[in-house]
Amino acid sequence: MTAIEVRRLVKQYSAYPALDGIGFAIAAGTVTALLGPNGAGKTTIMEILTGLARPTSGTVRVLGVDPQRGPREWRSRIGVVAQSNGIDLQLTVTEALRLFARHYPRPLPVAEVLDMIDLTGDAHTRIGALSGGQRRRVDVAVGVIGRPELLFLDEPTTGLDPEARRELWRVVTRLVDQGTTVLLTTHYLDEAQHLAGRLIVLVGGRIVADAPPEQLRTRDLAPTIRLPLPVGASFAGLPDTLAAHRDPDSGELRIASADLAADLATVLDWARRNHVDLAGLQVGSPSLEDAYLALVADPAGSLL
Amino acid sequence: MNDASATTSATISPPGHRMPALWPLLAHQVGYQLRLLSRTPRAVFGSILMPAILLALRLGRLDHGDGAIATQVAPLIAGLTVLGLASTAYVTYASSLVAARQDGVLRRWRTTPLPAAGYFCGRMVATVLLAEGAAAALIAIGIAMTGMHLSAGAVPVLVAVVAVGALAFAAIATALTVVIPTVDAAFPVLAVTFYPLVLLSGAFGSLSTEPGWLTAVLSYLPAQPLVDAVTGALRHAGGVPPLPARDLLVLACWGAVGLTAAVRFFRWEPTRPPHAQTARPAGVSGPPAR
Repeated sequence: MTAIEVRRLVKQYSAYPALDGIGFAIAAGTVTALLGPNGAGKTTIMEILTGLARPTSGTVRVLGVDPQRGPREWRSRIGVVAQSNGIDLQLTVTEALRLFARHYPRPLPVAEVLDMIDLTGDAHTRIGALSGGQRRRVDVAVGVIGRPELLFLDEPTTGLDPEARRELWRVVTRLVDQGTTVLLTTHYLDEAQHLAGRLIVLVGGRIVADAPPEQLRTRDLAPTIRLPLPVGASFAGLPDTLAAHRDPDSGELRIASADLAADLATVLDWARRNHVDLAGLQVGSPSLEDAYLALVADPAGSLL
Repeated sequence: MNDASATTSATISPPGHRMPALWPLLAHQVGYQLRLLSRTPRAVFGSILMPAILLALRLGRLDHGDGAIATQVAPLIAGLTVLGLASTAYVTYASSLVAARQDGVLRRWRTTPLPAAGYFCGRMVATVLLAEGAAAALIAIGIAMTGMHLSAGAVPVLVAVVAVGALAFAAIATALTVVIPTVDAAFPVLAVTFYPLVLLSGAFGSLSTEPGWLTAVLSYLPAQPLVDAVTGALRHAGGVPPLPARDLLVLACWGAVGLTAAVRFFRWEPTRPPHAQTARPAGVSGPPAR
């Protein structure tokens, strides 16, 4: 069964396409992540799929229905967690959940959802008095209270601490285990890798990759040598061809090596002579982040 | 892959559960909006407390031995009733609607099974109820402090006038939110229209120096007909007063204009601030996508 089907979708703002003829289909019961830099068109897709924005051209079917014409019954089958919170801060957590639950034919029990998002202790606290992370959990709770068949998550864990992120991952995993289809956008590649079985990468309104995480990670990229370095570390004795691979942001030496044995020997020899700490040394196949960054930097090397 | 995969599209069967009936949902929307209003100090103060305090102060300064007190009290109560009503149905309504749009609350409701009209019905009915309550409180204060007589037959007329007035102001406020991008911009836009309107219409007492042309203009704006209609009902000695048809017609016209403009131009989506407009990737020109 197909939960989402998109064909030749175009969305133009003024004369420029935010989405430039994209197409994909998502099977029911799966988790798919939309990745891409800011401005790639991820949120635009979410808005069109949820009926909040009208496409310029193309065909969109969500649960077999055109979102622009989706009746109440259709809306009762989707759940949306947008980037902004979108819940009145004057309400308590329980009031908000009860309020939204009434609109669905078979909502999840409020107590169950409170337990799921670990806010039972704050059930009667006004949302305005909660921390940012707790508010985000309430936001997710309202998104799932209607027991959606299809859940849209737009950057659900942005701003959350690592523990809260993992808690939300558990919530999403539990929903997927119950048969919910999930489409999420995220800037966290570990999140995409953990949750999604399929990654769709957008750049400039076009799809440049559509593959499982492992396939994206292991595409035609050379193995990588990673070595975190302190600020101001000397590169004396290290060949320029290798020293040039220092990441200016992180200070990390990150070498995509075509000759792993030779390059690693050179780095180890240089480190020994310069007393460089090798505790953080990593050698192996490229990470998903490496693959993603390479793809975004050079969309021509797409994986479709 | 710039086209859909070969997977066959199929409508996933709906669960077959019955959707909740709309009328109970509307009732819950009204309760929800009233709860929000009751927890918004600005709304409570502007709608009830401020007019009540002003009324008590003004009534305290009236000469109770003066035989003309009966003629002074009714327009005073009417003016302050309209002040509270306009504060509720215009200023509070519009600013809270802009805030809801800016905070993504409207967007959230649009993705639920609640029909768009249901959301606005809830807001407007809650606004009418608050305006009715505020008017009742002011009239009760007037009666308690001056012994003013209120004809039982005038009550349904007052209820109708306040309801139509609140709906008219709320409809105008809904339309006005189209030109108010953010909460920060709401106060200047609302204040520049609210204060002249209610002051010139006699919310704080009659302005005897108004030129004739201004009086004529005010009679076609929403506040003055509302003041006149409430004053007429309060002054009615006995039986059911006649409906103030002309005043109600003016209010209904304003309501219809506001509603038409709102239906045509209302925006559910927040105005995106410049810092939220992200740049396109290198090599891609044009306005930002999202």
